[in-house]
Amino acid sequence: MSANAVPMSQWPSDHRYTIPVAGDQDMVTVTIDDKVVQVPRGQLLIAAAQEHGTYIPRFCWHERMKPVGMCRMCLVEVEGMRGLQISCATPVVDGMVVRTESAPVKAAQDGVLEMLLINHPLDCPVCDRGGECPLQDQTLAFGPGESRYVEEKRHFAKPIPISDLVMLDRERCIQCGRCTRFAAEIAGDALIDFGGRGGHTEVITYPDEPFSSYFSGNTVQICPVGALTAKPYRFRARPWDLDSVETSCQACAVGCRGALDSTSNRLVRLLGVDSEPVNHGWLCDKGRYGYEWVHSEARVRAPGLRRGMELEVTSWPQALDAAAAALRRVRDEHGPGAIGVLGGARGTNEDAYAWARFAKGVLRTDNVDAQLADGLPADVVLGMPRATIADLDRARAIVLLGPDLKEELPVLALRVRRAAVDLGVPLIDVAARDHGLTSSAAHVIRHAPGVVQEAVDQVASIIDGITGDGPVVVVLGRPSVAEPAAATIHAASQLAKSHGARFLSALRRGNVHGALDLGLAPGFLPGRVSLDAGRDHLSATWGGTPDATGFDATGILRAAANGTIKALVLVGCDLLTDFPDRALAREALSAVERVVCVGAFPDDSAERADVFLPTGVWGEQAGTTTNLEGRVSVLRRKITPEGRTMEGWRIAAELAARLGSDWDLETVEEVQDEIAQAAPAFAGVDAALLRRARDGVVLPLADHLDEVTFVPATPGAGVSWEPLRPAADEVGNGEVAAPPAPAVALHTWSMEAPAPAAAPRDSYALRVIAARTLYGNDRVTSESPSLARLATSDARLLVSARDRDRIGVEDGTVVRVTSPRASVELPIHVDRSTPEGFAFLATNRDGAGASDLIDLDAPVTDVRVETLS
Amino acid sequence: MGRLSGFRVTLAQVFKPKVTEHYPKEKRPKPERFHGRHVLNRYEDGMEKCIGCELCAGVCPAKCIYVRGADNPPDAPVSPGERYGFVYEINYLRCIHCDLCVEACPTEAITESKLFEFSFTNREDAIYTRDELLVDDEGRARRQPWELWHGGEDDRTSAWMRATAPSGSAEFEGRVSWSGELGFGVRLGEKGQSEESSP
Repeated sequence: MSANAVPMSQWPSDHRYTIPVAGDQDMVTVTIDDKVVQVPRGQLLIAAAQEHGTYIPRFCWHERMKPVGMCRMCLVEVEGMRGLQISCATPVVDGMVVRTESAPVKAAQDGVLEMLLINHPLDCPVCDRGGECPLQDQTLAFGPGESRYVEEKRHFAKPIPISDLVMLDRERCIQCGRCTRFAAEIAGDALIDFGGRGGHTEVITYPDEPFSSYFSGNTVQICPVGALTAKPYRFRARPWDLDSVETSCQACAVGCRGALDSTSNRLVRLLGVDSEPVNHGWLCDKGRYGYEWVHSEARVRAPGLRRGMELEVTSWPQALDAAAAALRRVRDEHGPGAIGVLGGARGTNEDAYAWARFAKGVLRTDNVDAQLADGLPADVVLGMPRATIADLDRARAIVLLGPDLKEELPVLALRVRRAAVDLGVPLIDVAARDHGLTSSAAHVIRHAPGVVQEAVDQVASIIDGITGDGPVVVVLGRPSVAEPAAATIHAASQLAKSHGARFLSALRRGNVHGALDLGLAPGFLPGRVSLDAGRDHLSATWGGTPDATGFDATGILRAAANGTIKALVLVGCDLLTDFPDRALAREALSAVERVVCVGAFPDDSAERADVFLPTGVWGEQAGTTTNLEGRVSVLRRKITPEGRTMEGWRIAAELAARLGSDWDLETVEEVQDEIAQAAPAFAGVDAALLRRARDGVVLPLADHLDEVTFVPATPGAGVSWEPLRPAADEVGNGEVAAPPAPAVALHTWSMEAPAPAAAPRDSYALRVIAARTLYGNDRVTSESPSLARLATSDARLLVSARDRDRIGVEDGTVVRVTSPRASVELPIHVDRSTPEGFAFLATNRDGAGASDLIDLDAPVTDVRVETLS
Repeated sequence: MGRLSGFRVTLAQVFKPKVTEHYPKEKRPKPERFHGRHVLNRYEDGMEKCIGCELCAGVCPAKCIYVRGADNPPDAPVSPGERYGFVYEINYLRCIHCDLCVEACPTEAITESKLFEFSFTNREDAIYTRDELLVDDEGRARRQPWELWHGGEDDRTSAWMRATAPSGSAEFEGRVSWSGELGFGVRLGEKGQSEESSP
């Protein structure tokens, strides 16, 4: 954090003091331990001292939360003030003279620590925190050395689970309130609180309500003792076993920075790193504990070749030869348009670029799509005026026009919530049903799926009534896969035209933005340029590009089903699970002649594969990733993969070599340099810059040059309870050379989006809203034992209580749900978020469900519900 | 004397008592602080003392100890407390018998015996596992097929020597304490570590 920006979350809660605004240049002079320093007025003393090299011990204060002054550890002497002051809640004023090491301060610190240790058990050898424990460290550094208390300590039953992921040891708790404050202030899930008084104060959950927050793992990270421990990490390692690298999480497209720890070549922990522009140090539980799937036994670790009914384990040369021969034959016999490439949104940027170059530069097919009909058109995503996550904090208004962020992009939901709740940015919630951010919204607008015109008019009039000079930020995504994106796009185009709105994409898959940016979309080439605009530029590197624009995912599958497309390359996607129309996916897979599967798991689509090429995954391969704001950050390799997997980009390069195109790429840095040179939006973003930029680089670099920071790793990084500082391998010179201008003008969205025809309501039918939930049948959840317990695997039809009563059944009764497409049997349940006349279906569930009912051609999906016999 | 003067030392030695020992037929008693191969101790009720804290592995200068902890099964606990040593391995091709692990151990789970005669024929035997290191129900080391034991050598397996207190008090320095067998001799509670308040 820069010296003059005080996050509002640090402001004293009652606003009694002079409150600085971010960027306030009003500096005051303060003397801390005889050192005269300049600090911004109103900054908290504890933070000001730390920035100037004086560490004041603390337990309850956290940089990202409001001060409470519960632990009394940070007492300091301030001249002219009676008694000692808690530096975590004292803002600096001009001329302040502070002593942090005087005799009275020392005596107070001794007393506080002696008191904290009256009841704190000395089971450090058994405790997960032992070795990296703030209480241990600060007792050694600031404590009295011995205790006068010889009495028996207080005892509780321990440890008790307070959720499926977190265990509570009440004996160790020192009542700092970090966890309870996080849950209430930051996550907005106030499910834990203090109960009891005095020495019997303990953290409690409410009766019959576990701490089932999507963010519960953060409380474990910020706990200053071992009172909260994470079940997945419990007793797995001791701190001195761990080896750590900084990387980006790939569980969703937010791209939170984290410190990935491993021991004995196994990933054991991910801690949030405090990246100011992205995640503020927080992670969601799916990202935090979702490393377990990397070690899943179900992963494919050797290439496979179909012989008869079975995929037989084979060698890499044989598998690559077979895949190349199959693709060459289809291309030579039926032309490049007979090959479709789907997926690629789960790999690195280098993988995406290599697959794009392989598909478009070598095979010369444009039938390429990283999205599986569950996102937004690439034309919109690549060309829309973009906002960054940090723009949320200074926005005039935030409009939610997409999915439930808490379910799909949880840490983005935290940032939106912070902007709305802490910073007072008006949040306008446009959705068909209530969701995780509805309670933080200033304006709630409900509309029927597929009908948004009135909603957009309301949003426009609300924004007109809000004064402010920040941009209007629209979080744009796909609210439901049961309807096409057209209505949402139309609404977005109107807001862009009328209010100059800027957009934050809410597409979900880990690196979907990198995949789209690097050309895994029909009609586009790497670097956010259209096929026609970039043809000459890319041909210079590639030697050729597709002749005509190809199909998107739906078009590819239709063409495969009717026999036009003969071969499919599936890059890390399972069509039968991921594609919203399962019948079409099944038809396409059975009609197509050749399927080459590139992935990590033997999924349903892989059963149809002729060749299976196993890739390395997150944590096993280095590279870069692009998050939803277009920020390119570095992914690091932490463990050596077991078995015989290969990096995705290398597989593409090997296949290309077998089809007569030698790319001469040996290392991942060489791929990065080629991307910087070939992809116009990546101009200047080469391997050398990526290695040095602390928080990554936002594309295009020319527009975000001043946001790039080079800062060396802060001493003390690695103490997990404090915000972990982002690390950098090299100390930069603080300047970025002006990047070369993009060789080709980047694509812009025309903002022409016709309004879809309104779909008439059938008053006997329920209109379906189909979206994902955080935990489902996806591999990250189902292959991580800790998360798999949290997922509900069966599909349910969620309706309002009145609709359920109208149908006349009990909760849990199995009913027949019939859409124009199909009829399935599902249990029905009441859900308070779903309004009357609608039904919610989670898409990421096993068995029959949403993807059987949805017809991608229909403007909406209406279903009738009948009782069985 | 002339030419015999060169044999003066030799001749003098001939009449002195011999120091050569007929090892291994004869063996000298070993010193109190002798560092032999380790044992993992148990309490009298059979519970293991090791809690899997890995302090021994952390302090080991030869990096020869590998420990992994695990949740104690509540219905059949292996050690008192929440955690137990699930994997415990010492690689005797690396161990330098410095005894730092014994000093680091917070529960006196690991101590060194007087046994030092073991010759392996393969590397696997050189890595002692938890089952091989654990004492038996009598509190005695378990004899491995490749170990040469003589009578009574396994008697004193649980000696430990307390390090000098961090405060510098010489009270404990050099004092060897014998903890009998099976959990006898658990340390007295320390009454603070400074010089004034030590017992």
